Amino acid sequence: MKQLKKIGRFFCSMKFALILLMILVVACTAGSLIQQKQAESYYIEQFSEQGARAIMLFGLNDVFHSLWFIILTVLLCINLVLCNLVHFPTLIRRMKEGYSLDKCLKAWDKEPIVVVKDAKPLFQQLGFRKMQEVQDAEGNTYLYAVKNKVGIWGAWLCHLGILIIIIGFSFGQMMQKEYTVYGVPGQTREVGDTGYELTIDNFEIKLREDDTVEQYQATVTMKDTKTGETQSGQTEVNHPLSMFGMKCYQNSTGWAANVEIWHDGVKEQEQLLCVGEYALVESMEGLAVVFSAFYPDYVKGENGGMTQSSQLNNPAYLYRLYFHDQVLGMNVLMGDERITIDNYDILFKDPQPYTLLQVKRDPFSWLTGIGGLVVLIALILAFYLRPAEIWAKLQEDGTYAVAGRSRKGGQLFIDKLKETGEAIADK
Amino acid sequence: MDKFLAIENTIFTITMVLYFAAMIFYFVFFTVKKEKAGKIASAIMIVAFVLHTAALIARGIGAGRLPLTNQYEFATSFAWGISLCFLIFMWKFHFQALGVFVSPVIFLIIGYAAMQSKEVKELMPALRSNWLAFHVSTAIISYGAFGVAFAVSLMFLLQLRQKDSNFWKNHIPQPEKLDLISYRAVSLGFLFLTFVMITGAIWAERAWGSYWSWDPKETWSLVTWIIYAVYLHLRISKGWKGKSAAIFAVIGFICVIFTYIGVNTLIPSIHSYA
Repeated sequence: MKQLKKIGRFFCSMKFALILLMILVVACTAGSLIQQKQAESYYIEQFSEQGARAIMLFGLNDVFHSLWFIILTVLLCINLVLCNLVHFPTLIRRMKEGYSLDKCLKAWDKEPIVVVKDAKPLFQQLGFRKMQEVQDAEGNTYLYAVKNKVGIWGAWLCHLGILIIIIGFSFGQMMQKEYTVYGVPGQTREVGDTGYELTIDNFEIKLREDDTVEQYQATVTMKDTKTGETQSGQTEVNHPLSMFGMKCYQNSTGWAANVEIWHDGVKEQEQLLCVGEYALVESMEGLAVVFSAFYPDYVKGENGGMTQSSQLNNPAYLYRLYFHDQVLGMNVLMGDERITIDNYDILFKDPQPYTLLQVKRDPFSWLTGIGGLVVLIALILAFYLRPAEIWAKLQEDGTYAVAGRSRKGGQLFIDKLKETGEAIADK
Repeated sequence: MDKFLAIENTIFTITMVLYFAAMIFYFVFFTVKKEKAGKIASAIMIVAFVLHTAALIARGIGAGRLPLTNQYEFATSFAWGISLCFLIFMWKFHFQALGVFVSPVIFLIIGYAAMQSKEVKELMPALRSNWLAFHVSTAIISYGAFGVAFAVSLMFLLQLRQKDSNFWKNHIPQPEKLDLISYRAVSLGFLFLTFVMITGAIWAERAWGSYWSWDPKETWSLVTWIIYAVYLHLRISKGWKGKSAAIFAVIGFICVIFTYIGVNTLIPSIHSYA
C-alpha cells in the first residue's frame, strides 16, 4: 500500500511533470530536425546505415505518431489529471479559509510598510474595492481587503485546458476524415466513401498585374447521393466552405490537358490528364503516356525548359512514353505537335488549370478550441489576477499603519504598496 | 508609395545608428560607471524607439499592408517589440541598467533585419488573412518580452558573481527582485506566445486545412512554450528557483531565436515565406 501511494505521489508530482516535459522537448527537437515519414533509403543516405537503423528502431522517422510519443502524452495527461485532483480540495479550502485578517496579523511583524492619513484611497488605488472594518480582541480597528482570489485557479485551469487540447487533438486525429478531390470545372468526383459527390462548377486563378497570384477560387456543389440534397458555394485560400458538416479547402492547383490518341488517322481515345497522371493506350497493351509537366509560356533555359509566366502564350507539354515499364521516349511537345509511334499519334490540347480541394470532417476541433480558450483565460488569471491582501491598523494619532502581502506579487507588490502609499501621503 | 519606402529606408538607418549609440553609452555606463552615460543611453533609446515606430508606419503605408510578412519586416518588428517591452519595464521598475543587456540584443536583431531583402512583394494567397495581424503582432510582443526576460536573467546570473560591486548594488535590483521582474517578463511573453500559437492554429486551419501539422515552426514554438512552462514550474520549486529558473529563461530565448531564424533558414517548413 505504501509503495502504491509512493508511486501515486510520483505520478502527480511536479518532478514527474518536468521530466516528461523535458523528454517532450527532446522528442520534438528530434522530430523537427530529422525529416519525417521518409523511406529507409533516405535515412541511409543521410545518416549511414547504422544511423538509419537506429532511426527506424526508435520510430524517429515518425516521432509524433510513434508508440513511445503516444505513451509520453498519455503519461502527461495522467500527471495533469492527478495533479488537478490533488490540488482541487486545497484550492477550495484556500478560497474559503485562506484569506483572512487573522492569518495576515499572525504573519505580520507589526512593521508598517507605509503610514497614511486615510487608508481608503490607498486601498482603492491598488485595486482593492471591497474592504471591511474589523475589530480584534484587543479593541484595535483594522481595515482589511483581499483581491483577485480567483487568480489561484489559474494554474489549475491551465492544466485543465491543456488536457482538453490533448484530448481534442488526439480524438480529432483518430476520428477525422480527410479526402482529396481534384479536377477541372464541369467534373464531378466522389468524396471518398462519404456518400457525397463534389462537382467543380468553376475554378478561377485571380492574377495581379505583375502576374502574381492574388487568390484561387473554386465554386463547388456537394450532393448527398442518398437524398439528392445539394449545397454549393465558393471556397478560396483562407476561406474554407462548410457543407454537410464538412469543410472544403482550396488546397492546391496545377495544370491539366486533354490527351488524344489517334490510330491510323482515327481518334480512338480522349482523356483529361492532370500533370503527373498517365493514360494507357487501350488498343495497344503496355503502351502508356505520362503527362510529366506543363509550361504555359515555354522558353528553353540552360537547365531545360521553364515558363516565363502563367499566361498561355506558348504552351508546351513534357511527356514520357512507356512500353511495358520501359521508357520509350521523353520530350517537350509544343502547342499542336504530336508524338508519332508506329500507327499511333498522341497529342495534348486544351490546357487548363485544375483545382485540388481538401474535404475534411474533424468532429473534435471545437473541443481543442475550447481547450485553447481555457488555457488563455487560465494564464490571464494566473499572471494578471495575482491574489493579494492589504490591511491597515488605525493608530492612536488617527493615521493608518498599512501592510500587505501577495504570494505571487512578492517584493514587487510591497514596493508598489509603498510607492503608492508614499505618493498619497505626500499629497 | 515608393516615397514612403525611401523615407522608411532612411529612418531605419538612423534608428539602427541610434540603437548602436545607445548600446555604446550603456557600455560606458556599465564599465566606467558614469551615471550620466546611462541617462543619455536611455534618452537615445526613447528617440530610437520613436523613429523605429515611424519607420514601421512608413513601411506599412509604402507597402499598403501591415509590415509583418517577410524576414526583414518581422526582424525589424521583433527589434521594435523588444525595444517597446524594454521601455515599459524600464519605466515600470525604474530599471535603467536593463538597457546594458537589452540594447545589444536589439542591435543584433535590427542588424539581422538590415541584412535581409527590403523588397516589397505582393502577398501570396495564404498570407492574405486577417489572422496574420493577430498572429504576428502577438509574436512581436511575446518575443520582445522574452528578450527582456533573457536580459534580466543574464543580469541575475551575473549578479551572483558581483556581490561586492557598488555599481551592482546601486543600479541593479536585488536578486529576488530581478527574479520577479524576469518572471513578469516571461509571464507576458508566455501569455502572448499562447496567443501566437492559438491564432496560428486558427489561421493554419483556414489556410491549410489543419490547425496543427507538426511543421518545424509549430514544433519549435511548442518547444519554446514547454521550456518557458518548465521555467514557470521551476520558479515555484524549492531548490530550483533563482539560478536554475534564470538558466531556463536564457535557454528559452535561445529557442525563440532558433524558432525565428534557425527554423526559417535551416529546416524546410511551410512557414518559410521569406
